[in-house]
Amino acid sequence: MTVAIDVAPVSPDGASTDQVIRQVVRSRLVAITDQMRLALQSVSGSPTVTEASDFFTGIYLPDGAFVTMGHQVTFEAPPVGSLIRHLLSNGTKLKDGDRIIGNDPFIGALHQNDVQMCAPLIVDGELLGWAGVMAHETDIGGMDFASWSPKATEVWQEGLRIPAVKLVDGGELREDVLEMILTASRLPDQVGLDIRAFIATLNVAAERLTDLSHRYGKSTVLSVMHTMVDDAEALVRARLRELPDGVVHTRDFLEHDGKQNLLFVIDCVLTKRGDSLHFDFSGSSPQANGFVNSSRAGLAGGVAGAVIPTLGFGIPWNEGLLRPVEISAPDGLVCTAVPPAPVGSATVEAVWTVSNVVSAALNRLLLASPKYAHRAQAVSSGTMATFNLSGRDRHGKVFGLHLMDPLAGGFGAFADHDGQNAAGPINAPCPSIADVEVNEQKTPLFYHYRRLAPGTGGAGRRRGGLGAEVGITVSVPQAEALVMTHGAEVPNSVGLGGGLPGAMVSQRFRAAGEQPRDLGPKPGSFPITPADLFEVTWQGGGGIGDPLDRDPADVLDDIRYGLVTEVEARESYGVVLAGDGGSVDATATAAARRERRAARLGVEPVAVMDPVAVTDAVPSDAVRLGDRLLLVKDAATGRFQVRTPEGVVLSSGSTKWREGAHRFALTLPPSVGTALHSDLAVTGWACPSTGALLAVDVHLSGHEPFHDLELDLASFERTGTTAGDHR
Amino acid sequence: MTTPSTASGWAIGTDVGGTFTDLWLRSPEGESWVCKSPTTSDVVTGVIDAVHLAAGTVGLDTGELCSRVTRFGHGTTVGLNALLTGRSARTGLITTAGFGDVLEIGRLRRGTAGLQGLDLGDYHLRGQVPPLVPRTQVVEITERVDADGVVRTPLDEGSVLDAIGRLREIGVEAVAVCLLWATENPAHELAVARLVEEKLPGVFLSLSHEIAPSVGEYARASTTVANAALGPVQGRYLTLLEERLAALGMTAPIMMTTSAGGVVPARTVTERPVSNLLSGPASCVVAGQKLGAELGTPHVLTMDVGGTSFDVGVIAGGVALMSDEVTFGGADMRVPSIDIASIGAGGGSIAAVEGGALGVGPRSAGAEPGPVCYGKGGTEPTTTDADLVLGVLDPEQFGSGGIVLDREAARRAITDRVGAPLGLNAVEAARAIRVVFDNAMADLLRAVTIERGHDPREFTLVAGGGSGPSHAWALCREAGLAGFVVPPTATAQSAFGAGTSDLRTTASRTCYRRVLAEVGPSDQDARVVADALDDTRARALAALPDPGVGTVTHTASIRYFGQAHHVDVTVAAAPDKDAAAELLLCFEKEYEQLWGKESGFREAGFEILSVRSVAALPAADADGHGTGEPFTRLGTRPVVFDDADRPDETAVYTVRRPAAGQEIAGPALVQLPGCVVVIPPRGVATTDALGLIHVKVN
Repeated sequence: MTVAIDVAPVSPDGASTDQVIRQVVRSRLVAITDQMRLALQSVSGSPTVTEASDFFTGIYLPDGAFVTMGHQVTFEAPPVGSLIRHLLSNGTKLKDGDRIIGNDPFIGALHQNDVQMCAPLIVDGELLGWAGVMAHETDIGGMDFASWSPKATEVWQEGLRIPAVKLVDGGELREDVLEMILTASRLPDQVGLDIRAFIATLNVAAERLTDLSHRYGKSTVLSVMHTMVDDAEALVRARLRELPDGVVHTRDFLEHDGKQNLLFVIDCVLTKRGDSLHFDFSGSSPQANGFVNSSRAGLAGGVAGAVIPTLGFGIPWNEGLLRPVEISAPDGLVCTAVPPAPVGSATVEAVWTVSNVVSAALNRLLLASPKYAHRAQAVSSGTMATFNLSGRDRHGKVFGLHLMDPLAGGFGAFADHDGQNAAGPINAPCPSIADVEVNEQKTPLFYHYRRLAPGTGGAGRRRGGLGAEVGITVSVPQAEALVMTHGAEVPNSVGLGGGLPGAMVSQRFRAAGEQPRDLGPKPGSFPITPADLFEVTWQGGGGIGDPLDRDPADVLDDIRYGLVTEVEARESYGVVLAGDGGSVDATATAAARRERRAARLGVEPVAVMDPVAVTDAVPSDAVRLGDRLLLVKDAATGRFQVRTPEGVVLSSGSTKWREGAHRFALTLPPSVGTALHSDLAVTGWACPSTGALLAVDVHLSGHEPFHDLELDLASFERTGTTAGDHR
Repeated sequence: MTTPSTASGWAIGTDVGGTFTDLWLRSPEGESWVCKSPTTSDVVTGVIDAVHLAAGTVGLDTGELCSRVTRFGHGTTVGLNALLTGRSARTGLITTAGFGDVLEIGRLRRGTAGLQGLDLGDYHLRGQVPPLVPRTQVVEITERVDADGVVRTPLDEGSVLDAIGRLREIGVEAVAVCLLWATENPAHELAVARLVEEKLPGVFLSLSHEIAPSVGEYARASTTVANAALGPVQGRYLTLLEERLAALGMTAPIMMTTSAGGVVPARTVTERPVSNLLSGPASCVVAGQKLGAELGTPHVLTMDVGGTSFDVGVIAGGVALMSDEVTFGGADMRVPSIDIASIGAGGGSIAAVEGGALGVGPRSAGAEPGPVCYGKGGTEPTTTDADLVLGVLDPEQFGSGGIVLDREAARRAITDRVGAPLGLNAVEAARAIRVVFDNAMADLLRAVTIERGHDPREFTLVAGGGSGPSHAWALCREAGLAGFVVPPTATAQSAFGAGTSDLRTTASRTCYRRVLAEVGPSDQDARVVADALDDTRARALAALPDPGVGTVTHTASIRYFGQAHHVDVTVAAAPDKDAAAELLLCFEKEYEQLWGKESGFREAGFEILSVRSVAALPAADADGHGTGEPFTRLGTRPVVFDDADRPDETAVYTVRRPAAGQEIAGPALVQLPGCVVVIPPRGVATTDALGLIHVKVN
């Protein structure tokens, strides 16, 4: 590494090898990171920080690799490192007490709202590492409130762009720079409090790291930091070696660029070999004219956002988890946009969607690994429908609100249990939203309801979690709402192994005295008065497995708890209640299920075979690619085959099992939503003899669905992962 | 005055823990004893057993002792256990229409409840804590009040009657009512209460504006529901305890410890069981506060290391720091509580190497199977096993009930589970466990002192709990403290607190005012605060048995607009506009002390959130402090301090309550009832007239 700054890095020589000291230093670094979080949350004035957790704190190696992070938004793991690497590469002269601020999406930020600061940790004249912090600021200037505007055609319209500027120079706050930044924002008080919080956070890190270095020696501290990253890398690589090799192809979509309701593709081809992952996004749409794009920094954030929680369970979270990951894609795509492309809503649009496809791809590999199959998860909360509100509050003060309630989407089902209701997205390890009362006290919001939305959980043997919904208006004469999302016409929270997607977003507006009208994905900004009502239902999580395989007793519980309606129980799950409504009519249920399986095959109910029951238990003599997709080695031919549990061979010599499955046009149930984008189609795949659902593909209409999983069968030969013939 | 004097008779303090019921006993002459009896599944029997044991200890007939007791303090985790094990009463929740999922959604925080450290990154573990009341037992009613307390939708009585009808069908024993903004206008909650009392007589009823008068419906609903669910359980328990104690001849009223510190008459607790959920740790802090007053030091840190947790309390300027929000049984609750910082690391915490890092806790071996050395089937090494291998614990002396600890088994487990992955031998690994444990404690100590603007070196550390006195020396070194103090009752500090705490009652209410920096507080702002204080003062005093002699202190919760954390600032009883302005200045000063110079940002404006009044009636002390005895030297044994290869030959002493004026040089161990005080090499221990052991570590 070439370090262009004029501070010598700490030498690793002379580091203590005492395991006890090293363990102490390790836990101290984690504790210091938590102190950073506390300092930030205590001083910040942004509800996104204080009531939700849309921020990041971390300690970094001298080269910008993060060593620790709090359990905070995983998208935000890479950005501050990019800011640090930018400083390293551009020859900035740094000294003790410098605090650098930046928010440029073409350097490291996800969008300009993500204001970052970093501090070189200089101990006795040598660079030990860095401390970093970032948080979402509700407004950082630009043509419209909230610094993201459907009107924007260029990034320069979207808010102040700060590449990397010393806000604190050798311990002295540059008041002029601070004033310049605050002047650019419509919410200078809030941003001012947050910037103070950032500085306090970095000061905590600098002081504690200096103390730690003086106590145990800076070479020891640096060496332990390296070990932490190396350890995490070794552990995640070991985990990767336990997953099968192969190519996974997943795709998700986002609709509407703020101007036109075009459909944008995020295409992910994951090649997994040994202990490395290569994500190729080349098949994605060209960059949009509107603000839904992400820069390359956003793409890195989206990938990290899914890789960290999906593969990093039980491992300390740091850059080691990302070392096996390579990303490729040409410039100029919706996920690698270049100026002048606007990127204002990147986090909730392209970045979020990238995270969906990465999650979907990795979970297919987990499912195909006997050790981890039980924790494979369908997609969670595939969108975050944004609601911003601005105007003057009843004290006459300008206010701005970035509502965090939309985090309350459903969790994707796990292979061995249902998804949690209103659990939040996978990018938020400790999700949190404010109380209704707190929002009503601090801002002129008024809620008509905030509740779970029955029926939004993706149907499946394991059901996706329900999303929540709110009906809101304002308590001042008028305010300006800014509403936008993707996933109102795309079921982003797709299922796995025959599970259905969770419900799509639904956004409605009822003006005083009028009928409610559907707002579609991106109505943009509009005035709202106390007589109006804005309503939004967020996406539920995807399901796992054929809904007809769900235990009728579980469906009965779902009805009892009001999570699934009786209609949905009948339509999606084929469960019929007895006359008393309190128990399952077993005979009618068996008939209804048979009828539905027959309909998939387009045959009479008498013509379908009864399927073998499926349970959580993973068979010991096969690799389960889905509830009803078993990869086995045929004893007679020595070839790998994908078979159903009933023994129907779907493919031979490859995992392209769709070749032998029955294909049919699947109509999503009304509970998922009726507003499917006109460029999309849904195809179901069923077992040709039982009609059991094997997979649900959401794809471009007029395009063929593709094989999502092509495992390298030779790797099974090498590792002996399949136990042999299945009889 | 008619305070519950201890001076005239015997005083008893009891504290029911998960494993042991601790009892502290003091004679009218000031001599004190502690004893422990196993906690029983019905709880009450364990308390009675402890009383018999205590009588035996002082050579009195149980009836005779009980007839002379003038103070009976009691702390119990019965409510906590009922809540955690789901044995609380079947409870219905009534909410505003549209908000019945308040507990289900749980601010999204319920999903990660109970997860710590690496487990937070494992999403497969999420969502294990069900809501306190299932969705099927929540009913919504038509009504709505807004943030100003204005009725936006009048209460629809028909919807209330329907709701009550459904709760009757379900067969609830208790009902919680939590309506939006009931804190600003309780009329609807009160109207619902009248109907519930009429239609469901005998049901235990809790109203959110009374139980948890604070803004934020999730915590308020959780607290109200917990209170309702515990009401019938706690009521039955106290009735039984009163009967059993009366049968022994006890005439002193039961005084229950509260989470806010201090005790209240048991009848108060039957209406508000949630107020004593965390009373055990709080009593421990109150005990430390008392000790600080006797020593004449205003700044005290209390540490209590039990089997599963390390708890720290901070007393600054003679006042214990308070907190409003606690997380409990997976739910956020609003209960005025002594602020206890806690980590899941104690004597029974399991040490394990995960992801290359050695961690201690939060998993615990508990009482069953317990540490490996107990020989009850435990296979994972704990900090107690490490202490045994290091020589701190005596295999023959430590275990209660005469268990001989199995040092060999502890060695093997430590070697296999910790030594091998880290490349260390058994003693080195045991030392690593101890050091990691001590550092985790030091991190917490730093978090509650340095990170909150306090210099830990100005504090006196009081070590308590079964493992506290044996780890305090290392904690002092890590945190830069000169030494610590061990009371003879160290192993039962909560029981000591229960026996000696003042009567103390708390009342709070919201009084939200947003004050713009450029304008400053208005007459109206001051009037709202003053009115709220009138109310809380009256309520706090009314809960005392003799309101005429109580003293009252008031605080106001203030923050900069938009922030999450507030600061409690002392406020005069009836502030005018100028006093309110002064109050804001005090807030700014305290804020800067907490978060650093120039961290404040008055341009954002202020929010005055709520006020609180605390009324107190001091408990009388005994006249004397009793006499002590000299240390008895038992011999020496090797103990590992800083070098695993070179243990120090360490003198071992024993004493029940040391006499004043003694001094021993480290390295030394002093075995007190239920714990071991470790004096490190170059350290020194002295004793005083209070029976305290003062250990200097340097």
